[in-house]
Amino acid sequence: MAGTVMECKHLWKTYKPHTVAVKDVSFQIREGEIKLIFGPSGSGKSTFLRCMAMLTMPDKGEVFLRDELLTKPGVNLNRARARIGFVFQHIYLFRHLDTISNVELALRRVLKMSRSDAQQRALDALREVKMEQWAKKYPAQLSGGQQQRVGIARAIARNPDIILLDEPTSALDPELTGEVIDTLRDLAAKGMTMLVVSHEMPFAREVADEMIFYDEGTIVETGPPEQFFTNPQSDRAKKFMTRLILKTKRD
Amino acid sequence: MLIPFLDIGPLLLNGFIFTVELTLIGIFGGLAIGIALAIGDMYGGPFVSAIIRVYVEIFRGSPILVQLFIVQYALPELTNWLIVYHGFPSYFLVALNPYATAFLVFALNSGAYQKGYIKGAMETVFEDQMVAGLSVGMSRAQTISNVILPQALRIVIPAWSNEFCSLTKSTAAVALIGGFDLTAVGKTIAGLTYNVIGAYTLVAIVYLAWITLFTKVADIVYEKKKIPGIELSV
Repeated sequence: MAGTVMECKHLWKTYKPHTVAVKDVSFQIREGEIKLIFGPSGSGKSTFLRCMAMLTMPDKGEVFLRDELLTKPGVNLNRARARIGFVFQHIYLFRHLDTISNVELALRRVLKMSRSDAQQRALDALREVKMEQWAKKYPAQLSGGQQQRVGIARAIARNPDIILLDEPTSALDPELTGEVIDTLRDLAAKGMTMLVVSHEMPFAREVADEMIFYDEGTIVETGPPEQFFTNPQSDRAKKFMTRLILKTKRD
Repeated sequence: MLIPFLDIGPLLLNGFIFTVELTLIGIFGGLAIGIALAIGDMYGGPFVSAIIRVYVEIFRGSPILVQLFIVQYALPELTNWLIVYHGFPSYFLVALNPYATAFLVFALNSGAYQKGYIKGAMETVFEDQMVAGLSVGMSRAQTISNVILPQALRIVIPAWSNEFCSLTKSTAAVALIGGFDLTAVGKTIAGLTYNVIGAYTLVAIVYLAWITLFTKVADIVYEKKKIPGIELSV
Protein backbone atom coordinates (compact mmCIF):
# COMPACT_ATOMS: atom_id res chain seq x y z
CA MET A 1 0.00 0.00 0.00
CA ALA A 2 1.38 3.39 -1.02
CA GLY A 3 2.17 5.84 1.77
CA THR A 4 -0.08 8.66 2.87
CA VAL A 5 0.95 11.98 1.34
CA MET A 6 -1.46 14.25 3.16
CA GLU A 7 -3.95 13.78 5.88
CA CYS A 8 -6.17 15.89 8.07
CA LYS A 9 -7.98 14.94 11.23
CA HIS A 10 -11.02 16.70 12.68
CA LEU A 11 -10.33 19.93 10.88
CA TRP A 12 -12.41 23.01 11.68
CA LYS A 13 -12.54 26.47 10.21
CA THR A 14 -15.20 29.02 11.09
CA TYR A 15 -15.54 32.45 9.59
CA LYS A 16 -17.14 34.97 11.84
CA PRO A 17 -19.85 35.10 12.86
CA HIS A 18 -21.51 31.82 11.99
CA THR A 19 -20.18 30.45 8.72
CA VAL A 20 -18.62 27.07 9.25
CA ALA A 21 -16.53 26.43 6.15
CA VAL A 22 -14.85 23.30 7.44
CA LYS A 23 -16.71 21.23 10.01
CA ASP A 24 -14.83 18.35 11.58
CA VAL A 25 -13.36 17.10 8.31
CA SER A 26 -11.02 14.11 8.25
CA PHE A 27 -9.40 13.14 5.01
CA GLN A 28 -6.48 11.22 3.60
CA ILE A 29 -4.73 11.01 0.25
CA ARG A 30 -2.10 8.46 -0.74
CA GLU A 31 0.81 8.50 -3.12
CA GLY A 32 -0.34 8.76 -6.74
CA GLU A 33 -4.01 9.13 -5.90
CA ILE A 34 -6.27 11.64 -7.57
CA LYS A 35 -9.18 12.81 -5.52
CA LEU A 36 -11.80 15.22 -6.70
CA ILE A 37 -13.88 17.40 -4.43
CA PHE A 38 -17.14 18.84 -5.71
CA GLY A 39 -20.21 20.43 -4.24
CA PRO A 40 -22.30 23.59 -4.21
CA SER A 41 -20.54 26.95 -4.31
CA GLY A 42 -20.08 28.51 -0.90
CA SER A 43 -19.93 25.11 0.75
CA GLY A 44 -16.33 25.64 1.94
CA LYS A 45 -14.39 23.52 -0.58
CA SER A 46 -11.84 26.25 -1.29
CA THR A 47 -11.39 26.98 2.39
CA PHE A 48 -10.81 23.29 3.04
CA LEU A 49 -8.18 23.16 0.29
CA ARG A 50 -6.46 26.28 1.61
CA CYS A 51 -6.44 24.84 5.11
CA MET A 52 -4.73 21.72 3.77
CA ALA A 53 -2.00 23.93 2.32
CA MET A 54 -1.97 26.03 5.50
CA LEU A 55 -2.66 29.11 3.42
CA THR A 56 -5.65 29.58 5.67
CA MET A 57 -5.03 28.62 9.27
CA PRO A 58 -7.53 26.07 10.54
CA ASP A 59 -9.10 26.78 13.94
CA LYS A 60 -8.83 23.23 15.19
CA GLY A 61 -7.63 19.85 14.03
CA GLU A 62 -4.49 18.40 12.53
CA VAL A 63 -2.94 18.54 9.09
CA PHE A 64 -0.15 16.15 8.15
CA LEU A 65 2.21 16.30 5.21
CA ARG A 66 3.74 12.82 5.16
CA ASP A 67 4.65 12.36 8.84
CA GLU A 68 5.00 16.00 9.65
CA LEU A 69 2.30 17.66 11.69
CA LEU A 70 1.79 21.13 10.18
CA THR A 71 -0.72 22.42 12.71
CA LYS A 72 1.77 22.34 15.56
CA PRO A 73 3.11 25.75 16.65
CA GLY A 74 6.63 26.48 15.48
CA VAL A 75 6.50 24.40 12.30
CA ASN A 76 8.26 26.02 9.36
CA LEU A 77 5.22 26.44 7.15
CA ASN A 78 7.18 28.00 4.31
CA ARG A 79 9.21 24.84 3.99
CA ALA A 80 6.06 22.73 4.10
CA ARG A 81 4.30 24.86 1.48
CA ALA A 82 7.32 24.51 -0.77
CA ARG A 83 6.46 20.80 -0.94
CA ILE A 84 2.82 21.45 -1.80
CA GLY A 85 1.88 22.78 -5.23
CA PHE A 86 -1.17 25.04 -5.23
CA VAL A 87 -3.17 26.12 -8.26
CA PHE A 88 -5.69 28.91 -7.78
CA GLN A 89 -9.05 29.46 -9.38
CA HIS A 90 -8.05 33.00 -10.28
CA ILE A 91 -4.53 31.89 -11.12
CA TYR A 92 -2.60 34.62 -9.25
CA LEU A 93 0.53 34.67 -11.37
CA PHE A 94 3.16 37.21 -10.35
CA ARG A 95 2.07 40.03 -12.60
CA HIS A 96 5.41 41.79 -12.95
CA LEU A 97 7.34 38.69 -14.03
CA ASP A 98 7.39 36.93 -17.37
CA THR A 99 6.28 33.35 -17.62
CA ILE A 100 9.62 31.71 -16.97
CA SER A 101 10.44 34.03 -14.07
CA ASN A 102 7.09 33.18 -12.52
CA VAL A 103 8.15 29.55 -12.42
CA GLU A 104 11.76 30.30 -11.55
CA LEU A 105 11.19 32.61 -8.59
CA ALA A 106 10.53 29.95 -5.95
CA LEU A 107 13.25 27.69 -7.36
CA ARG A 108 15.75 30.47 -6.79
CA ARG A 109 14.45 31.92 -3.55
CA VAL A 110 13.06 28.85 -1.83
CA LEU A 111 15.06 25.92 -3.17
CA LYS A 112 18.12 28.19 -3.57
CA MET A 113 18.96 26.74 -6.96
CA SER A 114 21.54 28.44 -9.14
CA ARG A 115 20.25 30.70 -11.90
CA SER A 116 21.06 28.25 -14.68
CA ASP A 117 19.64 25.22 -12.86
CA ALA A 118 16.48 27.12 -11.98
CA GLN A 119 16.10 28.28 -15.56
CA GLN A 120 16.49 24.75 -16.84
CA ARG A 121 14.00 23.36 -14.36
CA ALA A 122 11.52 26.15 -15.12
CA LEU A 123 11.78 25.46 -18.84
CA ASP A 124 11.19 21.77 -18.22
CA ALA A 125 8.08 22.60 -16.19
CA LEU A 126 6.84 24.92 -18.94
CA ARG A 127 7.44 22.18 -21.47
CA GLU A 128 5.28 19.82 -19.44
CA VAL A 129 2.37 22.24 -19.77
CA LYS A 130 3.30 23.04 -23.37
CA MET A 131 4.07 26.68 -22.62
CA GLU A 132 7.80 26.80 -23.31
CA GLN A 133 7.40 28.97 -26.41
CA TRP A 134 5.67 31.59 -24.22
CA ALA A 135 8.50 31.75 -21.69
CA LYS A 136 9.21 35.43 -22.27
CA LYS A 137 5.59 36.62 -22.28
CA TYR A 138 4.02 38.38 -19.32
CA PRO A 139 0.83 37.07 -17.68
CA ALA A 140 -1.30 39.89 -19.07
CA GLN A 141 -0.23 38.93 -22.58
CA LEU A 142 -1.57 35.39 -22.26
CA SER A 143 -5.06 33.93 -22.49
CA GLY A 144 -6.69 32.63 -19.34
CA GLY A 145 -6.00 29.03 -20.29
CA GLN A 146 -2.34 29.78 -20.97
CA GLN A 147 -2.06 31.64 -17.68
CA GLN A 148 -3.52 28.69 -15.82
CA ARG A 149 -1.05 26.32 -17.50
CA VAL A 150 1.74 28.59 -16.26
CA GLY A 151 0.10 28.45 -12.84
CA ILE A 152 0.32 24.67 -13.02
CA ALA A 153 3.95 24.83 -14.18
CA ARG A 154 4.72 27.06 -11.21
CA ALA A 155 3.10 24.53 -8.90
CA ILE A 156 4.87 21.45 -10.29
CA ALA A 157 8.34 22.94 -10.88
CA ARG A 158 9.41 22.24 -7.31
CA ASN A 159 8.52 18.55 -7.68
CA PRO A 160 6.01 18.86 -4.87
CA ASP A 161 4.70 15.87 -2.96
CA ILE A 162 1.18 16.79 -3.98
CA ILE A 163 -0.65 19.45 -5.91
CA LEU A 164 -3.87 21.02 -4.73
CA LEU A 165 -6.01 22.59 -7.43
CA ASP A 166 -8.81 24.96 -6.53
CA GLU A 167 -11.31 25.00 -9.41
CA PRO A 168 -8.54 25.42 -11.95
CA THR A 169 -10.93 25.82 -14.89
CA SER A 170 -13.97 27.55 -13.47
CA ALA A 171 -12.74 31.09 -14.13
CA LEU A 172 -12.00 30.26 -17.77
CA ASP A 173 -14.11 30.48 -20.91
CA PRO A 174 -15.46 27.08 -21.90
CA GLU A 175 -13.21 26.86 -24.97
CA LEU A 176 -10.15 27.39 -22.77
CA THR A 177 -10.93 24.77 -20.15
CA GLY A 178 -10.00 22.00 -22.58
CA GLU A 179 -6.32 22.86 -22.73
CA VAL A 180 -6.08 23.03 -18.94
CA ILE A 181 -7.89 19.73 -18.54
CA ASP A 182 -5.49 18.18 -21.07
CA THR A 183 -2.59 19.41 -18.96
CA LEU A 184 -4.09 17.88 -15.83
CA ARG A 185 -4.69 14.64 -17.67
CA ASP A 186 -0.97 14.54 -18.59
CA LEU A 187 -0.04 15.08 -14.95
CA ALA A 188 -2.40 12.34 -13.87
CA ALA A 189 -0.78 9.97 -16.36
CA LYS A 190 2.60 10.73 -14.78
CA GLY A 191 1.33 9.60 -11.41
CA MET A 192 1.12 13.01 -9.73
CA THR A 193 -0.79 13.00 -6.45
CA MET A 194 -3.61 15.48 -6.87
CA LEU A 195 -6.45 16.89 -4.85
CA VAL A 196 -8.73 18.82 -7.18
CA VAL A 197 -11.78 20.92 -6.51
CA SER A 198 -13.64 20.79 -9.80
CA HIS A 199 -16.94 20.24 -11.51
CA GLU A 200 -15.43 18.89 -14.72
CA MET A 201 -17.33 15.65 -14.62
CA PRO A 202 -15.91 13.94 -17.71
CA PHE A 203 -12.43 14.60 -16.35
CA ALA A 204 -13.44 13.28 -12.94
CA ARG A 205 -14.88 10.13 -14.42
CA GLU A 206 -11.74 9.55 -16.41
CA VAL A 207 -8.98 10.14 -13.87
CA ALA A 208 -10.33 10.38 -10.33
CA ASP A 209 -9.72 7.48 -7.96
CA GLU A 210 -12.27 8.90 -5.61
CA MET A 211 -14.83 11.64 -5.65
CA ILE A 212 -15.81 13.58 -2.57
CA PHE A 213 -19.11 15.38 -2.29
CA TYR A 214 -18.65 18.36 -0.03
CA ASP A 215 -21.54 20.40 1.28
CA GLU A 216 -22.09 22.79 4.19
CA GLY A 217 -18.53 22.49 5.40
CA THR A 218 -18.31 18.76 5.49
CA ILE A 219 -17.74 15.62 3.46
CA VAL A 220 -21.16 14.19 2.75
CA GLU A 221 -20.23 11.24 0.60
CA THR A 222 -17.14 9.67 -0.89
CA GLY A 223 -16.81 6.93 -3.45
CA PRO A 224 -15.50 5.99 -6.86
CA PRO A 225 -16.78 8.17 -9.74
CA GLU A 226 -19.11 5.44 -10.98
CA GLN A 227 -20.98 5.50 -7.71
CA PHE A 228 -21.81 9.17 -8.17
CA PHE A 229 -22.70 8.87 -11.81
CA THR A 230 -24.94 5.84 -11.38
CA ASN A 231 -26.08 5.61 -7.82
CA PRO A 232 -25.23 8.37 -5.32
CA GLN A 233 -26.03 7.26 -1.79
CA SER A 234 -27.01 10.52 -0.14
CA ASP A 235 -30.01 12.61 -1.16
CA ARG A 236 -27.99 15.79 -1.36
CA ALA A 237 -25.43 14.22 -3.69
CA LYS A 238 -28.23 12.72 -5.78
CA LYS A 239 -29.88 16.13 -6.22
CA PHE A 240 -26.59 17.86 -6.96
CA MET A 241 -25.52 15.26 -9.53
CA THR A 242 -28.88 15.47 -11.30
CA ARG A 243 -28.56 19.21 -11.63
CA LEU A 244 -24.93 18.97 -12.69
CA ILE A 245 -25.62 16.35 -15.35
CA LEU A 246 -28.55 18.36 -16.69
CA LYS A 247 -26.39 21.44 -16.88
CA THR A 248 -23.55 19.54 -18.60
CA LYS A 249 -26.02 18.24 -21.18
CA ARG A 250 -27.30 21.77 -21.80
CA ASP A 251 -23.76 23.00 -22.33
CA MET B 1 19.36 93.85 -17.24
CA LEU B 2 21.66 90.86 -17.69
CA ILE B 3 23.62 89.82 -14.67
CA PRO B 4 27.33 89.34 -15.32
CA PHE B 5 27.26 85.56 -15.31
CA LEU B 6 30.93 84.99 -14.57
CA ASP B 7 30.67 86.57 -11.13
CA ILE B 8 27.57 84.84 -9.99
CA GLY B 9 28.21 81.51 -11.73
CA PRO B 10 30.10 79.86 -8.85
CA LEU B 11 27.56 81.13 -6.32
CA LEU B 12 24.70 79.78 -8.33
CA LEU B 13 26.45 76.47 -8.84
CA ASN B 14 27.04 76.09 -5.10
CA GLY B 15 23.42 76.75 -4.29
CA PHE B 16 22.26 74.48 -7.05
CA ILE B 17 24.46 71.60 -5.90
CA PHE B 18 23.16 71.87 -2.35
CA THR B 19 19.55 71.98 -3.49
CA VAL B 20 20.12 68.95 -5.72
CA GLU B 21 21.78 67.04 -2.89
CA LEU B 22 19.02 67.95 -0.50
CA THR B 23 16.24 66.95 -2.85
CA LEU B 24 17.91 63.67 -3.75
CA ILE B 25 18.64 62.75 -0.16
CA GLY B 26 15.14 63.83 0.79
CA ILE B 27 13.41 61.82 -1.92
CA PHE B 28 15.54 58.66 -1.70
CA GLY B 29 15.98 58.76 2.07
CA GLY B 30 12.24 59.35 2.26
CA LEU B 31 11.67 56.41 -0.04
CA ALA B 32 13.64 54.08 2.23
CA ILE B 33 11.83 55.42 5.30
CA GLY B 34 8.48 55.28 3.52
CA ILE B 35 8.97 51.63 2.55
CA ALA B 36 10.00 50.70 6.09
CA LEU B 37 7.02 52.58 7.56
CA ALA B 38 4.56 51.06 5.08
CA ILE B 39 5.75 47.54 5.85
CA GLY B 40 5.80 48.27 9.58
CA ASP B 41 2.27 49.64 9.42
CA MET B 42 0.98 46.59 7.55
CA TYR B 43 2.83 43.92 9.52
CA GLY B 44 4.09 45.38 12.76
CA GLY B 45 0.94 44.81 14.75
CA PRO B 46 -1.20 47.45 16.49
CA PHE B 47 1.54 48.93 18.66
CA VAL B 48 4.05 49.58 15.87
CA SER B 49 1.21 50.76 13.68
CA ALA B 50 0.15 53.32 16.28
CA ILE B 51 3.69 54.66 16.61
CA ILE B 52 3.96 54.97 12.85
CA ARG B 53 0.66 56.82 12.69
CA VAL B 54 1.86 59.33 15.28
CA TYR B 55 5.10 59.81 13.37
CA VAL B 56 3.27 60.40 10.11
CA GLU B 57 0.79 62.83 11.66
CA ILE B 58 3.55 64.86 13.31
CA PHE B 59 5.49 65.27 10.10
CA ARG B 60 2.49 65.87 7.89
CA GLY B 61 0.74 68.06 10.38
CA SER B 62 3.35 70.73 10.99
CA PRO B 63 5.15 73.08 8.61
CA ILE B 64 8.51 71.85 7.46
CA LEU B 65 9.98 75.20 8.43
CA VAL B 66 8.94 74.60 12.04
CA GLN B 67 10.46 71.14 11.88
CA LEU B 68 13.72 72.65 10.65
CA PHE B 69 13.66 75.21 13.47
CA ILE B 70 13.00 72.54 16.05
CA VAL B 71 15.90 70.36 14.97
CA GLN B 72 18.22 73.30 14.37
CA TYR B 73 17.49 75.47 17.41
CA ALA B 74 15.26 73.67 19.90
CA LEU B 75 16.96 70.27 20.03
CA PRO B 76 20.37 71.65 21.05
CA GLU B 77 18.73 73.63 23.86
CA LEU B 78 16.64 70.71 25.01
CA THR B 79 19.46 68.20 24.98
CA ASN B 80 21.82 70.63 26.62
CA TRP B 81 19.30 71.22 29.38
CA LEU B 82 19.01 67.45 29.92
CA ILE B 83 22.77 67.16 30.16
CA VAL B 84 23.35 70.10 32.43
CA TYR B 85 20.40 69.73 34.79
CA HIS B 86 19.54 66.06 34.64
CA GLY B 87 22.87 64.34 34.42
CA PHE B 88 22.42 62.89 30.94
CA PRO B 89 25.74 61.86 29.36
CA SER B 90 27.24 64.45 27.06
CA TYR B 91 26.78 62.45 23.86
CA PHE B 92 23.08 63.22 24.24
CA LEU B 93 23.74 66.64 22.81
CA VAL B 94 22.10 67.05 19.42
CA ALA B 95 23.55 70.07 17.71
CA LEU B 96 23.65 69.70 13.95
CA ASN B 97 24.93 72.06 11.33
CA PRO B 98 22.23 73.46 9.02
CA TYR B 99 23.12 71.01 6.28
CA ALA B 100 22.78 67.93 8.44
CA THR B 101 19.54 69.31 9.86
CA ALA B 102 18.19 69.86 6.37
CA PHE B 103 19.09 66.36 5.16
CA LEU B 104 17.59 64.77 8.24
CA VAL B 105 14.36 66.76 8.30
CA PHE B 106 13.67 66.39 4.60
CA ALA B 107 14.20 62.64 4.59
CA LEU B 108 12.03 62.18 7.69
CA ASN B 109 9.37 64.51 6.37
CA SER B 110 9.22 62.99 2.92
CA GLY B 111 9.19 59.50 4.41
CA ALA B 112 5.97 60.37 6.22
CA TYR B 113 4.30 61.34 2.95
CA GLN B 114 5.76 58.52 0.92
CA LYS B 115 4.63 55.95 3.46
CA GLY B 116 1.04 56.78 2.48
CA TYR B 117 1.66 56.39 -1.24
CA ILE B 118 3.63 53.18 -0.83
CA LYS B 119 1.19 51.57 1.54
CA GLY B 120 -1.66 52.43 -0.80
CA ALA B 121 0.17 50.88 -3.73
CA MET B 122 1.10 47.79 -1.72
CA GLU B 123 -2.51 47.30 -0.74
CA THR B 124 -3.67 47.34 -4.34
CA VAL B 125 -1.38 44.46 -5.28
CA PHE B 126 -1.41 42.83 -1.94
CA GLU B 127 -3.96 40.18 -1.47
CA ASP B 128 -3.68 37.64 -4.24
CA GLN B 129 0.03 38.21 -4.73
CA MET B 130 0.81 37.50 -1.08
CA VAL B 131 -1.11 34.24 -1.05
CA ALA B 132 0.55 33.28 -4.36
CA GLY B 133 3.97 33.98 -2.86
CA LEU B 134 3.21 31.92 0.24
CA SER B 135 1.84 29.09 -1.88
CA VAL B 136 5.18 28.55 -3.59
CA GLY B 137 6.98 28.38 -0.27
CA MET B 138 8.28 31.91 0.06
CA SER B 139 8.10 33.66 3.43
CA ARG B 140 6.13 36.87 3.88
CA ALA B 141 9.34 38.89 3.80
CA GLN B 142 10.48 37.19 0.60
CA THR B 143 7.10 37.79 -1.00
CA ILE B 144 7.15 41.45 -0.01
CA SER B 145 10.61 42.03 -1.43
CA ASN B 146 10.29 39.87 -4.56
CA VAL B 147 6.67 40.37 -5.49
CA ILE B 148 4.76 43.08 -3.63
CA LEU B 149 7.34 45.88 -3.59
CA PRO B 150 8.45 45.54 -7.23
CA GLN B 151 4.83 45.96 -8.28
CA ALA B 152 3.96 48.63 -5.72
CA LEU B 153 6.98 50.78 -6.57
CA ARG B 154 6.04 50.74 -10.24
CA ILE B 155 2.59 52.00 -9.37
CA VAL B 156 3.90 54.64 -7.02
CA ILE B 157 6.22 56.39 -9.49
CA PRO B 158 3.76 59.11 -10.62
CA ALA B 159 2.79 59.99 -7.05
CA TRP B 160 6.44 59.88 -6.11
CA SER B 161 7.29 62.27 -8.89
CA ASN B 162 4.69 64.70 -7.50
CA GLU B 163 6.24 64.33 -4.08
CA PHE B 164 9.58 65.26 -5.62
CA CYS B 165 8.16 68.51 -7.03
CA SER B 166 6.68 69.63 -3.75
CA LEU B 167 9.73 68.52 -1.78
CA THR B 168 12.08 70.44 -4.06
CA LYS B 169 10.12 73.63 -3.61
CA SER B 170 10.00 73.19 0.16
CA THR B 171 13.79 73.09 0.27
CA ALA B 172 13.73 76.87 -0.08
CA ALA B 173 12.94 76.88 3.64
CA VAL B 174 16.48 75.83 4.55
CA ALA B 175 17.68 79.35 3.72
CA LEU B 176 15.98 80.36 6.97
CA ILE B 177 18.21 78.14 9.11
CA GLY B 178 21.32 79.30 7.34
CA GLY B 179 21.61 76.75 4.56
CA PHE B 180 23.07 78.21 1.39
CA ASP B 181 20.65 76.78 -1.13
CA LEU B 182 19.34 78.12 -4.44
CA THR B 183 16.92 80.50 -2.80
CA ALA B 184 19.59 81.83 -0.45
CA VAL B 185 21.81 82.30 -3.48
CA GLY B 186 19.03 84.21 -5.22
CA LYS B 187 18.80 86.54 -2.27
CA THR B 188 22.56 87.06 -2.25
CA ILE B 189 22.65 87.75 -5.96
CA ALA B 190 19.80 90.20 -5.64
CA GLY B 191 21.74 91.96 -2.90
CA LEU B 192 24.97 92.04 -4.87
CA THR B 193 23.53 93.17 -8.17
CA TYR B 194 20.49 95.13 -7.04
CA ASN B 195 18.72 93.24 -9.78
CA VAL B 196 15.87 91.63 -7.91
CA ILE B 197 13.88 90.64 -10.97
CA GLY B 198 16.84 89.04 -12.71
CA ALA B 199 18.10 87.23 -9.62
CA TYR B 200 14.86 85.54 -8.66
CA THR B 201 13.89 84.82 -12.25
CA LEU B 202 17.20 83.08 -12.71
CA VAL B 203 16.71 81.04 -9.56
CA ALA B 204 13.17 80.11 -10.57
CA ILE B 205 14.43 78.92 -13.95
CA VAL B 206 17.03 76.72 -12.29
CA TYR B 207 14.38 75.18 -10.03
CA LEU B 208 12.15 74.65 -13.01
CA ALA B 209 14.93 73.00 -15.00
CA TRP B 210 15.87 70.64 -12.16
CA ILE B 211 12.29 69.61 -11.46
CA THR B 212 11.58 69.12 -15.15
CA LEU B 213 14.68 67.02 -15.61
CA PHE B 214 13.94 64.80 -12.64
CA THR B 215 10.28 64.27 -13.40
CA LYS B 216 11.10 63.50 -17.03
CA VAL B 217 13.51 60.81 -15.88
CA ALA B 218 10.80 59.46 -13.56
CA ASP B 219 8.36 59.40 -16.50
CA ILE B 220 10.87 57.47 -18.59
CA VAL B 221 11.48 54.96 -15.81
CA TYR B 222 7.72 54.61 -15.36
CA GLU B 223 7.23 53.88 -19.05
CA LYS B 224 10.19 51.52 -19.25
CA LYS B 225 9.19 49.58 -16.18
CA LYS B 226 5.56 49.22 -17.15
CA ILE B 227 4.51 45.60 -16.98
CA PRO B 228 3.84 44.45 -20.53
CA GLY B 229 0.17 43.90 -21.20
CA ILE B 230 -1.14 45.90 -18.26
CA GLU B 231 -2.03 49.55 -18.21
CA LEU B 232 -1.01 50.58 -14.74
CA SER B 233 -3.17 53.13 -13.08
CA VAL B 234 -2.57 55.10 -9.95
